[in-house]
Formats: sequence, structure tokens, C-alpha cells
Amino acid sequence: MSLWNGDTIKDVSESVGVANLSEDVAKNLAMDVEYRIHQVLQEALKFMHHAKRTTLGTQDISNALRVLDVEPLYGYESTRPLRFGEASLGQAQPIFYVEDDEVDFEKLINAPLPKVPRDVTFTGHWLAVEGVQPAIPQNPTPSEAARLSETTPKGASSNTTLSAASTLNPTTNETVTIKPLVKHVLSKELQLYFERISTSITDESTTDTIRNAALASLRNDPGLHQLLPYFVQFISEKTTHGLRNLFTLTQMMSLTHALLENESFFIEPYVSSLIPPILTCLIGKHLGSITSSTSSDPHSQTPAHYALRDLSASLLKLICKRFGDSSHTLKPRLTRTCLKHFLDPAKPLPTHYGSIIGLAAIGGREAVRVLILPNTKLYETVIRPEIEDDGARKNEAEMCLRALVGVIKLLEEEEEKEEGAAGGNAKGKGKNGVTPTTPGATAEEVKAKLISILGELVGEEVWRLRREGLVKAVVEAGGMKV
Amino acid sequence: MASQGSSATTGAGAHAAGSPQALNQIVIEYLSKKGYAKTEAMLRVESAHTDHEGRPILSNLDDQPDVKYEKAYSHLKNWIENSLDIYKPELRRLLFPVFVHSFLQLVKEGYMAPSQKFFEAHSVEHATAHADDLMKLKAISLPQHIDDDHLARLYRENKYKVNFSKTTSNLLMHFLEETSDNGGGVILRIINDHIEMRTTAGRPTMFGEEEGILGEDEGITGHTSGRPESGATLPVIKLGPLPMAPEFMTDVEDELRDEDAMGVENAVGGEYNVTLLDEFQKKIKREETEESPMRDQIPLPPYTGVDIEREVRLVKESRDKMKLSGAPAPALPSVLMYTFHNTHDGLQCVDFSEDGTIAAGGFAESYVRVFSIKGTPLVSIIPAENLPVAPKTRRLIGHSGPIYGVSISPDKKYLLSCSEDKSVRLWSLDTYTALVSYKGHDSPVWDVRFGPYGHYFATASHDHTARLWSCDHIYPLRIFSGHLDDVDTVIFHPNSVYVFTGSTDKTIRMWDIQTGNSVRLFTGHTGLVMALAISPDGKWLASAGLDSTIMLWDIASGKRLKTMRGHGKTSIYSLTFSMEGTILLSGGADNTVRCWDVAYGTGAPTADAPEAVGASSSAAAAAGATGALVSGEGSTKSDGASTSGAPNKRKRTEIVATPDHLQVFYTKKSPVYKVLFTHKNLCLAASANMPNAP
Repeated sequence: MSLWNGDTIKDVSESVGVANLSEDVAKNLAMDVEYRIHQVLQEALKFMHHAKRTTLGTQDISNALRVLDVEPLYGYESTRPLRFGEASLGQAQPIFYVEDDEVDFEKLINAPLPKVPRDVTFTGHWLAVEGVQPAIPQNPTPSEAARLSETTPKGASSNTTLSAASTLNPTTNETVTIKPLVKHVLSKELQLYFERISTSITDESTTDTIRNAALASLRNDPGLHQLLPYFVQFISEKTTHGLRNLFTLTQMMSLTHALLENESFFIEPYVSSLIPPILTCLIGKHLGSITSSTSSDPHSQTPAHYALRDLSASLLKLICKRFGDSSHTLKPRLTRTCLKHFLDPAKPLPTHYGSIIGLAAIGGREAVRVLILPNTKLYETVIRPEIEDDGARKNEAEMCLRALVGVIKLLEEEEEKEEGAAGGNAKGKGKNGVTPTTPGATAEEVKAKLISILGELVGEEVWRLRREGLVKAVVEAGGMKV
Repeated sequence: MASQGSSATTGAGAHAAGSPQALNQIVIEYLSKKGYAKTEAMLRVESAHTDHEGRPILSNLDDQPDVKYEKAYSHLKNWIENSLDIYKPELRRLLFPVFVHSFLQLVKEGYMAPSQKFFEAHSVEHATAHADDLMKLKAISLPQHIDDDHLARLYRENKYKVNFSKTTSNLLMHFLEETSDNGGGVILRIINDHIEMRTTAGRPTMFGEEEGILGEDEGITGHTSGRPESGATLPVIKLGPLPMAPEFMTDVEDELRDEDAMGVENAVGGEYNVTLLDEFQKKIKREETEESPMRDQIPLPPYTGVDIEREVRLVKESRDKMKLSGAPAPALPSVLMYTFHNTHDGLQCVDFSEDGTIAAGGFAESYVRVFSIKGTPLVSIIPAENLPVAPKTRRLIGHSGPIYGVSISPDKKYLLSCSEDKSVRLWSLDTYTALVSYKGHDSPVWDVRFGPYGHYFATASHDHTARLWSCDHIYPLRIFSGHLDDVDTVIFHPNSVYVFTGSTDKTIRMWDIQTGNSVRLFTGHTGLVMALAISPDGKWLASAGLDSTIMLWDIASGKRLKTMRGHGKTSIYSLTFSMEGTILLSGGADNTVRCWDVAYGTGAPTADAPEAVGASSSAAAAAGATGALVSGEGSTKSDGASTSGAPNKRKRTEIVATPDHLQVFYTKKSPVYKVLFTHKNLCLAASANMPNAP
């Protein structure tokens, strides 16, 4: 439990004449000793930091003891490193001690004087001249600098995930329709409940507490599943008719979330009905009133509908995670819808934004690699004119750019996660991974490669993040296509 | 109790030893037959809570004090990990304070083994952002330590602040209330007792902030100053330059006119197209404005010829300086490195004089050494001191402990040093002798710094205070107390009215030297703050420390503008702004000097180009678009890469530099102790060579 052994305490107590120290006392004392040692170390570290050193010395310990009002340990303030000897007494634990040789006084006096240490001097040199480090002996050579920077990229990831990409191919195109098999008979209480909930959620004038209580009740209450189809219906209705009302849309998404969270619902059959409203909120053309979606207001430069799109993307991810395995057409269908919108330059930019984050949410890293990455360069032609031109859509185009960069980051992240999970396995794969950027490749070459994959705009942006791993992941993922 | 009662009757009943239920049944029958209605009801109630073996069912976590925190914490963590992506980053911030208090509570209640187990199981999750505190908490193992330990007391006596958006906090509260029996109640109690949840207006977003970086205002802030920290009630501060005395100004102008006349005579074909006088009136002259503090707030001794001389030199240097502005990225500076040899790690601090002619170093061997870096001998005005020949380096002996800070006055006449022996000493650079020993601090003094006009100086100490002194008084004029731990570094604002201190409590405070009150608090670092720098225009503050990140702050609003990373995992020792405030240089234990683009990602236009163009346009504009100017949040979003995936068990092996990292200059095994921009925009740097370092 504690690093310090209770036996040590007993040894010490015996040495000062306290025999028969009880086990409990010894244990408690051991823990206290450990705490005090930590305390001393903390103080000593302060002295080390302020002396701008990176090794802790005996002097630091004495200083720490002094500020803690403890008598310092004498005899340890030596400049030469302490050497510890080890002695074992039979079966018992080894005992450590400081090697302290006896010094013959006679010899010491007659010994020749030690060499006078060299005086402190200084030399001046140009570390940099207008940002360039001159190649003079005082500066490290480029190769040394490269070693110092330790920018050696991490082991490359494997390309074994390629096969998984095939699952993204759309297979079937059937639509699931749900027909109520039996006539529903709703009790009066349930009807009342439904009415209460639906009005409190959609009415902007109700207070937050009521709305939250309504959502919380949906999230947790058992025995509501008779109402489930009604809520599903309610959501799609409100979404279709409330496209101009951002508040309603957001509430509908929260409602969807609440329904998904409730464990007593058997929601799976309804998922396909829930998806259209979510997709609407994700890639809808104009969400919210016209005024709020333009960037006329300088203070809220991120129009609120982006937050709604983010929320919807999150919901999609949740759905894909939960039902993606059981319904094998779900992911391909969603992916196709998003991809269609992403690749259609005629669609408005907010739709593109939604489809980009949607794709990333549905397919994760693979979707980014297979679907977004190859299209990024082409897509640049869509947003570039908007970004360069200072028009009303500049803001929207920038949001798209941000989303692109954001999802490209996934490439690196998830790779890391996989690596972590695979443990030692990942290392082996890294060796025969694909096209590691040659160590000799200069930054410019890598950058050119990056740009050739991502296009100038996004490439530049990703490059500016200066994330070695990310660049590498991108180059690798794109390497197969180039 | 119920089981006891039933076992007592069992013996009497001596029936076939059936299950406890059967026994209960018998007893109940017996009681009802006898008409003991109340006893019967009691027994029914009590036996309802036992399982079929007669043991009480532990439905409520409160009945299992040794594991309730563990369960509650895991419960909360599971919920957070299963919630929607957009809420996760915010919710994760709650885990650390809950973790700390669960742990402390376990220790407090005396469950040592469970507390250690709990700590070991969950401390990994917080290692990125809170490694320091974890190390300290780890040592706590006995209930007594809690009242004794500084950090534990800090956590228990102060509220830990966490910011939430409204939706997120609603979700959390409902979750906790719903599951109050499974641990929600335990968490709620911790939140009520020790955590302050503040709701912010913003919405949760997909591209969250980076893990390992604390949000603004997050954590425990100081309590002793008793000031509200919210933005609305920030005390008014004036960041403008200190106005010049009118007589002084005319004197300087006269002097400059003379210089100009001389310059015209000597100039080779109109070498300078700006006269010194113009330069002075355009850029240097400091008149009273709305923003500037009153002149009489800072009583300074009457000016002398030396002051005029200095002002003239500053004007000249300002005119001749290298321009380090421009778009898209500012031009990079030149760095002149002075490497000290044979120090055997004894050199602890270095300071340069403003004109770059002398350097002073403080040594672990209790002496200060003055070096003439220009090569001219250091002539003392005492003739005997110059025999046989005036040396180029002099040793100042007087302290009785390692020297932790030195500072040379702007007029190059005085030197201050502070030491482990709790004293600060003033030395004359005319005679190279000791003048005054200032005693007042109670503990080792970590840093000392002259004010921008000399005369005043500030010290930072291990005794948790910073103090303001003037050279002519042996007692402190002000004691700035409010930091919860050591004050590690101190710096003056360019207008001399404010002092900034960086502390081991991971905060930076701004003090008004008139009132002695803390007027701003900057929180966000995850390690002690070792270095501070203020931009020459007095608007921005840069800070860095053991957590190897540099943070840039807007002083007026007290908000963080951005975080700069790239210095490996080692401490940063010194920071300096270029004269235009466009470039920040940092030096640290990783043997490098690094160059940072200040304006990038802050949403502020660069000095010469009102709107960023070219390569930096999209990113800078994107940052601006999210309202970086308004809240400062946007910039952190755009530069913070969203690594917030699942809790990162694996420690990150590489530090990724942020995009504003412009250039790095390596030294040969020499940690960089000091970087300083002169008024000519040349950067002086000092390092000590460690040939034996691994």
C-alpha cells in the first residue's frame, strides 16, 4: 500500500530503544514518513526549478529542510555524486548505505593541491541572423538539430483497414415502412401526457425548467412506449413544417436524443423514421430564419444553425453506433445521402458543411479516408472563389473549410487510438506500412505532397497545424490514390 | 438489527432451522396472534430490507462508505463517455474535481486501502492536465494529512469552478437526480460542497478544446483577495504609458534638436530621413491621455542628466531598430547568444543591461558576477579598485545563499540580487560594492526586478508574497499577498503602475501598486509560472512555465487569447516581446530559443496590415469569425486540435507545435536562461554550456 515498509520503522524504533512497536503504529508511521518525504521533495523541487537545473541535488534537499524548519542533514553537501553500496544479510532484504571512505589525514595534507578550476567565461555568437541560424561551429549542425527536434514520425499505421471500406458500398436500396399492425388505444392519461410534453417542448414561452423536466421524463420514464410512434410522427411533422424556426428544430433534436436515451423504448423499428428529420437538420438548405443565417450580425459570426448541424451529426453518430450493426443497410444509405450532397456543387454551402460532418460522424476515419480525402482537392474549386471573394458567402465557405480540416484531423486521432488498443501489435505493422515519408524528404517535399492530395487551400491549412502525425496520416491515406 | 432479532427468537422457537424468511413468517404469525400490532409492523418493515439469507440489502450506496465513491465516480464516468460527442468535452472537466474530492473524502473517513485503490485506478485519466497535483495528492494517506497538507486544504476550503453550457448542465443535473441512489447523490453532494458550476451562454460544439488544457477560470481561484473574478466587475485599470513630466519633455526635445543639428552636419548624404525629434514626437513622447495613469500616482525622484541621456538613446535606438513587423508573418529577429562556460550548473540567473553592454549572473555559490559583454573594462570610481588593471568581470560577494534573481537598473548604475538567505541586496555598478541589504521576506526570495524607471523594484518570494520596495527605504512599501503558493516570478508593467506575479499556484496576478490590491487574475496554466513578459504597448501579457506552454493574455479583459505549444516537455525560463509586439521569443531548458507569431490566431490585425492576407488569411479569419475578439474563446478553438477522443490512456509521445510557432534555434547543450529584446530589436540571449549533459 505504501512504498515505505513498516519493517523499516520497526528497525528504526528498535535502534532508538522502542521495542515491540505494534503493527498498526508501524504502518501508520510508515505512511506518515512517506508523506513527509513527499513534502521535502516538493520543496526541494522548487529549489531545483529556481536554480534552473534539471537534476535534484543534495543542496536542494538541505535547502528544503531549512525552509520546512527541520535541521538539515549534515555531511551530504558534496559535489561528487553519492555512491550507494549494497550489503545483503543472508535471507533478509539488502541494506543500502552511502559509501564513505575513511580518509587518511596525513595523506590528505601531503597530497598535491587540486587543479584550480577554470574560471567562468562567456562567448558570444550569432544564434540567428534575421531568423536564419548561421552554420558556424557554435551552432549545432543541421543533422544535430534534427536529432534534437526528435521529430521522427511515429510508426506508420497499417493499411489493413482497406477491406473494411468495401462495406461502404451501397448494397440494397430497400426502404423500410412501418405499418401499425394493431389499432392503438391510448389511455387518457397517455394522451394528456403526450399533449403536455409536446406543447411544453415546442412552446418558446415555457421556462427552461419545464422543458427540461419534460425531456428528462422522456429520457427516463418507463411505460411510454405506446407513445413512441406518436413522438416519432410528431418529430417528423414539426421538422417538416418548422424549417424556418431554429428553436423548434433544436428542440426536436433534443427530443430525438431523449427518445434514443430511454432504455425502456424498443426504438429500433423507428430508427428509419427518425433519420429523415435528423438528416434535414444536418444538411437542410436554409435552417432557421433567413436573417439569422446570414452573417449580418457581427457578434454571432457562427450562425446558430451550425450548432444544430453539429448536434444532428452527433445524433447520427449515436444511431450508427447503436444500430449500425443490426441494420446493415443503414450506414451505406446514410453515407450515400451525405456524399451525394457533398459532391453536388449546386447545393448551398451550409449543406456541404452538414454533409462533411455527417460523413465523418457516420463512417469515422474510414469515411474520411475513402470518401472525403479524394474529393477534397476537387471540392476546393467550390469554396475557393467564395473565400477569395469577400461576399456574403465567405463566412459559409470558411465554415466548410473548418469542417474539412476538422474531420481530416480524425485520420490521425483514430489511428492513435487503434494503435493504443492494438498495443505491441501495431509496432510490427508499422514496419511494413505504406510509403513512409523518406527520412531525407524535406519539409517542402512533404508539403508539396500534402497539397497534391488535399489541394492548396486545405493542404495549406492542415500544414499550418504543424502536426507531423496528421500530415503523415494524410499522405499515407492519400498515397494510395495518388 | 432485524437479523439479530430474528436469530434471538430462533433459539426460542427451536423450529426446524428453515430460511430466515420462514422464521420471520413464524414470528410475524406469532406476533399477530398475540396482538402485538406495532411490533409486527416494525418487523415487517425491517425484514423487507433483508435478502433471502437474512443479510440487509444494500440498496443505498451510503451504506457502503468504502466503495461508494468508487462506484459513484465510475457511474459518472460511464455516463459521460456514453453521452453525445458534443457534450463530452465539457462534462469531462467535472471528473477531475470529483475525483479529487472523492479521494480526499475517502482518506478523511479513514478508508486507507480503498482510497489508495481508488487513486491508482483513476489517476491516470487526469495525468495530462493535473500531473502536478496528482503527485502531491498521492502522498496523502492519513486523515491528519488532510488538515495538514496545503493542497488538500486548498481543495477543501475553496470551490472548484467549472464552466458548463446550459444544456450540458441541465443534462448533468437531471442525470444525477435520477440516479441519486446509484451514486448520483454522492456526486451531487460533492458538487454542492466543493464545486461551483457556472453556466455560460455558449453552445457546446463539435470541435472542442484540446485535452490537457484547462479552460479559462477553471479550477480553484484565489480567495484571499476577496475579489469577484467575473468579467463584469473587473476593476478599472489604465494600461497607457506613464506620461512624462512637461519639463522633462522639453529638455529631451532640446537635446534632440541639438543632436539633429549635429546629425545634419555629420550625415553622409541624408542617411536618416527621420529626425530624432520627429521620431520622438511620433512614437516615444508620452502625454497624458484617457488611458494613461496620473503622473503623480508614481512619485519618482526628480530627473537628472542621466535620464535625459537615456531617453535620447532610446529615441535613437527606436529610430534605428530593425523592423520586425509585416504580413503575413512578421520578419524574424537576430539573436545574439552569450554562452557561459565552466559554470558547473552553478549559474542560476542572468540579466542584461538595457543597452546590452553588461550582463550579470547569479551563482549557486552565493555570489553575483558582472561581465562586460562589450569587452570594455569595468572601471570602478574608486581608483584603488582598478589596480593593477580594471578587470572585465567582477565578483560581488555578500549573500550567504544561492542567488536566484538579478536585475540591472535601466540607468545601469545599480544591480539588485536576491537570494536563498531571504535578503535582497543593492549593489552599485560605479563602485562594485554593496550598498543596501533589504530584509523583509520570511523565506528565500525567488525573483527581483527593477521597475521601468528604476527607483522601485519588486520581489517574489517563497513566503507566498510579492513585495514592492523603493531603493531608498529598507522596508517594503507594499506587500502583495493573495497567491496561495510560492510567488516565482515578478515583472513590472511598462507604465510602472502595475506589477504582475506568477506563482506555483499556477495563476498569474496583476497588482495595483497604489492600492496593493490584486486587480486581475489569470488562470489556465497547469504548472508553476516561471516567466512573464508584457508587450511594449502594455496591452498583452505572455506567460510560461513548467507546463511548457506559453499563454497569451489580454490584460484589459483578463481573457486568454491563445496557447502556444512546442517547447517539448521542459520548463520555459524566459520570454521577451519585440519592440513592435509582433514577435515573442522564448528560451527554455530544452536548449532552444523559439520564435512565436504573436498576432496569429488572436483575431488582432497585424501591425502593418489591417487585414491578414495570404497564407494566414483563412485560419486567422476563421478564428476571427468565431468571435475571438469578443471572447477569446474562438482562438483556442481554432488552434486547439480536437484530440478529445476516448480518454487518452497512452501518454502522448510528441508535443505538437501550434501553428504560430515560427522558428526554432538550437544551441549546443546549453539551456537558455534569459532572452531579452533590446530597443534596437536585437535579441540577447544567455545560456550555460553543459558539456556533460546526456
